[in-house]
Amino acid sequence: MTGLIYKDLAVLRRQLSTLLVFIFVYGGFCITGVFDFSILGALIAVFGLTVPMSSVALDDAAHWDRYAIATPAGRRGVVAAKYVFTLLVVAVSVVAAGGLMVCLSLAGLTKTSPEDLVLIALACGVLTLLLDAVILPCLLKFGAEKARIISMITFVVIFGGAVLLGGMAKDQFALPQPPEWLLAALPVLCGLVAVIGFFISYCVSQGIYAKKEF
Amino acid sequence: MSNALEVSHLTKDYGSFKLDDVSFTVPGGTIMGLIGENGAGKSTTIKCILNLIHRDGGEISVFGRDAVRDERAVKTQIGVVLDESSFHEALNPVQIGKILSKLHPNWDGKCYGDYLRKFELPEKKAVKTFSRGMKMKLSIAAAFGAKPRLLILDEATSGLDPVVRDEILDEFLNFIQDEDHAILISSHITSDLEKAADYVTYLHKGRVVLSEAKDELLDTYGKLVCGRSDLERVDRSLLAGSRVGQFGCEALVKNRHTFVRRYPGLTVDPITLEDIMVFTGKGDAQ
Repeated sequence: MTGLIYKDLAVLRRQLSTLLVFIFVYGGFCITGVFDFSILGALIAVFGLTVPMSSVALDDAAHWDRYAIATPAGRRGVVAAKYVFTLLVVAVSVVAAGGLMVCLSLAGLTKTSPEDLVLIALACGVLTLLLDAVILPCLLKFGAEKARIISMITFVVIFGGAVLLGGMAKDQFALPQPPEWLLAALPVLCGLVAVIGFFISYCVSQGIYAKKEF
Repeated sequence: MSNALEVSHLTKDYGSFKLDDVSFTVPGGTIMGLIGENGAGKSTTIKCILNLIHRDGGEISVFGRDAVRDERAVKTQIGVVLDESSFHEALNPVQIGKILSKLHPNWDGKCYGDYLRKFELPEKKAVKTFSRGMKMKLSIAAAFGAKPRLLILDEATSGLDPVVRDEILDEFLNFIQDEDHAILISSHITSDLEKAADYVTYLHKGRVVLSEAKDELLDTYGKLVCGRSDLERVDRSLLAGSRVGQFGCEALVKNRHTFVRRYPGLTVDPITLEDIMVFTGKGDAQ
């Protein structure tokens, strides 16, 4: 499995470097006041979604999967490697973007506290994991080309829903208030949902891949 | 001499095409050539062996282990070259070696490096700069690097020039010097298999038409070249196919020795694997 993760890193090395540069460029925009610091959190979602997608797209183009399955790694190894690689990408994105936000906060460049920025980065990481949990089985079943449409719909539904709810709250629309205990437990609950969702997604993908023909 | 590969009553039904009751055996220390026209089922057979597709029936065992139940153990014994390169264009042979060293428990980096040098492949250049022949050589180097006991090659020599093909066939012959090694190679370049194969299995429309030792096959079958009147008086049960042209007739004789004894006046020429394919394929079409 480590060979397959190394393969993804080697193939996407240039793209990963570019994305890391993006974080610092956007960090610069935040310092100059062009963007709000929360944009760095959004980059976590962008990386966490586009990198696994690119990885599957490049595998499709090279017909890599049928070769990888013919090696001792087999079908299970290919799926496991893709999920571990996705986790790594999300983790590195959270650390890179979150770390930069905290550094800029400690340098006094934003009024938001470092604790809140860490929470923002973690929340974005959790959301990205949930999106990946939906997208990865589609990617492995339909390939990158067809799954792109599904991922766009997922992205629009989740982010559109969030913007809609935010707008309704802003317009003082009477949204039902969740109980205090639920609000307090929300970060942990969201984290748990993301982890469980990702695990269920992994099991679904293993099932899909076990039946797939190459 | 134990069997490296046993395929028994293999069936795979796609609806429009069916691989039907395919059986053959590859003994250790030998090369088995899988021949057949396009769409005959060669790649489907290989995909079933590699578990890339799910078989509907039959058994496949590699060195006595079931190819599905003991998949991981079986795949540590197999080196694979598929019909087209499966390596990412951005990678170079050194990176590919690193990836494969982590996938194959028996990986031999020195052997892989030796083949890269032998095939004169640039180690640091991206695969996208390679010609088709170079990509195929890279795939073959990678297959050897896995230190397999069974090499499976799907149309590995097609698209290569005769010099490179000859070079690669020599490597295959070296590989099977060890009686513990064997090769299954599918190809429709039958001249390659005439040079290298010990056994030949001919697939036609998803069924095994014949599976025999190559020398025996070429010794038994023959090509009858005669006039139309001669062909008309020949017992059809001795023939496997015929072609009637403007200037004469040709027919595939199933057993040239029996045939010559029965028709001493007719000439039966030696035959090639290609002749057998053409007669069977065209005979079927007629």
